[in-house]
Amino acid sequence: MENKLRKYVDDLFEGTPPTRKAVELKEEMIQNLEDKYKDLIAEGKTPEAAFNIAVAGIGDVSTLLKEIETSAVSEPDQAALQKSAMFTAVAVTGYILSVLPWILFGTFGGRGAGTIGFVITLLMIAGSTGLLIYNAMTKPRYHKESDTMVEEFREWQAETHDRRALRRAISTALWSIIVALYFIISFWTFAWHITWIIFILGAAIESIINIFFSKKK
Amino acid sequence: MSIASDLIRGHTDTIILAKLMGGDNYGYEINKSIQQKTQGKYELKEATLYTAFRRLEQAGCISSYWGDEQTGARRRYYSITQLGRDTYNSLIGDWRTAKEMIEKLIELEEK
Repeated sequence: MENKLRKYVDDLFEGTPPTRKAVELKEEMIQNLEDKYKDLIAEGKTPEAAFNIAVAGIGDVSTLLKEIETSAVSEPDQAALQKSAMFTAVAVTGYILSVLPWILFGTFGGRGAGTIGFVITLLMIAGSTGLLIYNAMTKPRYHKESDTMVEEFREWQAETHDRRALRRAISTALWSIIVALYFIISFWTFAWHITWIIFILGAAIESIINIFFSKKK
Repeated sequence: MSIASDLIRGHTDTIILAKLMGGDNYGYEINKSIQQKTQGKYELKEATLYTAFRRLEQAGCISSYWGDEQTGARRRYYSITQLGRDTYNSLIGDWRTAKEMIEKLIELEEK
């Protein structure tokens, strides 16, 4: 008979999305109905009568269920998303164009001009990286639309995705700078036999950044 | 009975808060005590009760938690917050004022 109570409540909740609130309300209702049912049996009612009395006491739940169903759905901020896309585009353009000053100054300028060109290249890489990092940190995150476990999972996913994007941006910038540094120092000093150490140093720096990230988690 | 129910229904929140002033409690127990105090003449529909719980919880008057009974039955308990106590005090004040006025207004004057 108690299974019958559970079945009855299950039927009441049919068509209501199993959000956490709905599941909790259902459990609460079943628990209270079972308590009432046991009391009625203890008073000497037959199982059938007890079931009918308990069920009759529920009343009209349609308003209550509708209330639970409707939860504020927050539209993702379109303007913010567009701004974010623009930032990424500008940053990527910056990366691509960043080699130009170095090549142009180096080809058409004197010996000193090459250095100036290289500095401008580095500044452009730095600027683009700054943009990417700023973008990853201010991008609108996924906000819970309703209180379901699926939504919670999505929120968690969005969070880890954001972290990964930031880390990738830093990694990309780091290795661009390392390669540039390698060539500059090598051409400058012609110490090719030793400059490869820069790559090992780069790997070490990246490891340190990774440690910093996992600590922050 | 039905007219009296309508009169009482407007005070569901006050009734629940009053019960919770005496300590944490759960749905069925609250409803049972209402039934006992009125000698079985009044009983809240469960839908009404849960709706009131949601409303009061959203307003910050009560908070809920799941009990950890050993027997397997997990009950959802409600407890009153400070805001709930303040709300109760103001509601009971409103009721006393209203009761006095209504009595004066609807009773026939003796000559």
